Amino acid sequence: MTSMTSRDSAQKPRLLESRRVLTLILLAAFAWSLLNLDWTEGFIHSGGISAMGEFASALFSLDLSADTLSAAVSASWTTVAYAVAGLTLALFIGIPLGAIGSGVLTKSPWVRATGAGGSRFSLAFFRSIHELVWAWLFVAAIGLSPMAAVLALAIPYGGILGRIYAELLQDVPEAPLQSLRSTGASEWRVFWYGRLPMALPDMLSYTFYRLECGIRSAAIMSFVGLGGLGHEVRIALDDLAYQQVWTYLLFLIGLVVIVDIWSTMVRRRLSE
Amino acid sequence: MALLRTREIEHLYSTASCAVVLSEVSKQYGQKEAIAPLSLTINPGERVAFLGPSGGGKTTLLRILSGQLESSTGTVLLCDRDLAKMPTGREVSQLVGMIHQQFDLVPNLSALQNVLAGQLGEWSLLKSLVSLVWPLNRCIGLSALARVGVEGIAYQRAGSLSGGEQQRVAIARLLVQNPQVILADEPVSSLDPARAGEVLQLLVSIADEAGKTLVASMHSVELAREHFSRLIGLRNGAVIFDLPSHEVTEDMLHDLYDLKGLRAEA
Ligand SMILES: Nc1ncnc2c1ncn2[C@@H]1O[C@H](COP(=O)(O)OP(=O)(O)OP(=O)(O)O)[C@@H](O)[C@H]1O
Ligand SMILES: [Mg+2]
Repeated sequence: MTSMTSRDSAQKPRLLESRRVLTLILLAAFAWSLLNLDWTEGFIHSGGISAMGEFASALFSLDLSADTLSAAVSASWTTVAYAVAGLTLALFIGIPLGAIGSGVLTKSPWVRATGAGGSRFSLAFFRSIHELVWAWLFVAAIGLSPMAAVLALAIPYGGILGRIYAELLQDVPEAPLQSLRSTGASEWRVFWYGRLPMALPDMLSYTFYRLECGIRSAAIMSFVGLGGLGHEVRIALDDLAYQQVWTYLLFLIGLVVIVDIWSTMVRRRLSE
Repeated sequence: MALLRTREIEHLYSTASCAVVLSEVSKQYGQKEAIAPLSLTINPGERVAFLGPSGGGKTTLLRILSGQLESSTGTVLLCDRDLAKMPTGREVSQLVGMIHQQFDLVPNLSALQNVLAGQLGEWSLLKSLVSLVWPLNRCIGLSALARVGVEGIAYQRAGSLSGGEQQRVAIARLLVQNPQVILADEPVSSLDPARAGEVLQLLVSIADEAGKTLVASMHSVELAREHFSRLIGLRNGAVIFDLPSHEVTEDMLHDLYDLKGLRAEA
């Protein structure tokens, strides 16, 4: 414990330096990427401007027919269901792997290194592949079933949640943990009585933020053909029915806003 | 009520006494010597306060006594047992418990759950988990809270309590843990003078009732004199004086805290 603190203080200057070097490298890479973009072609093709105009004006003549509305409601429902089911499954990936990945459950250096290393690696693997790619993979493997959508969402989101959970679990104040240890509590008990309660508000609020992202992802993923708001948007776009596109987009915005309000309320209650 | 209380918290008052013996204990942080080799004996049931300037080594010494920190050299005997050779945290926790200046409780748990955490060393993992949702052995926790005078806040979040209440809850947790030796690192430094006196009085009377050994570090010389029978001055990791409270003179205290000397020595 103390050997760690003294090591920390010795390492800090070096850490700062390497961080500065990293910042420089990243800035250089950013500048290089700007230089390498082809600026002469222009971003918008010739017919683009008028299409944009049509699209924008369609916002003021929304398609509010019963057919479109009922399609929007049922598509919204599908999207929310994908997002919630995907995120729930993601919790089953993120919580255990995050807890193991944080390396706080054991004092034994061996178990810690293998457990934390293994779970951090799998978390990194899960989240390094985008949910759309997972969606393609699963559609190829199990066809156009809701299961494909849920799995495609759950895996990368599990990877992201696990990584953040691991960090939040590591970053709780040390003093209360020390005093729990001094009552003779093992690391497991310290986890349940100290780390988890202290990290929980931040974990929950991050999870809600992820739910919001999950709804957007679920909508996008249905472009692959899995139903939901994205699917409707794509069909409407193919028909050049911009009024319908806007209706669906407004439903999507509405969903995100609702989740946002909900998560703000939960967060406020948590931090009383 | 009184009868009920006696029966319920009988185990909290198991009279026992336990000596603390340090021989040639030192602590090195890299080049820096936080504790110069020192030997001293604290008798069973004694009330000892460490005094001294900031950086004098009070916290370091208390952490060594609590087993949280390994000394660089020397041995610590608690109740005739070598602290370094005790196999599990659980055994250490039966001998020694510690209160800190602040930020010691888990803020998101209720006061009661923080108090019951004093028994975590004794409980099985299953029992600990059940108790997290549905506090078990509630009576012990509630009577400990009553003993420190804050039973009314049992179900409040610890983070929402005042500094004085938090310190009382920490003392209640120590009651439930029931160690033989109580360590306290500047237990009242974050409290206003009136509250500080009360909490210290509480700590001392609890230690006295059960004949427990009490070792604290103190910033306030007045409070230390009033509540402790023996004062030990620590400066640059060395003992400057070690005397009964009433024999400590103003001159000694002046030397202990003198700034000029500190710089010259450092
Ligand atoms: N983890 C550490 N690494 C390096 N040096 C340390 C560490 N902890 C303490 N020290 C040094 O050991 C010396 C004693 O510190 P300690 O915290 O015991 O003093 P203290 O008497 O408790 O002071 P205060 O009254 O300010 O609490 C100080 O010089 C401090 O800088
Ligand atoms: Mg200190």
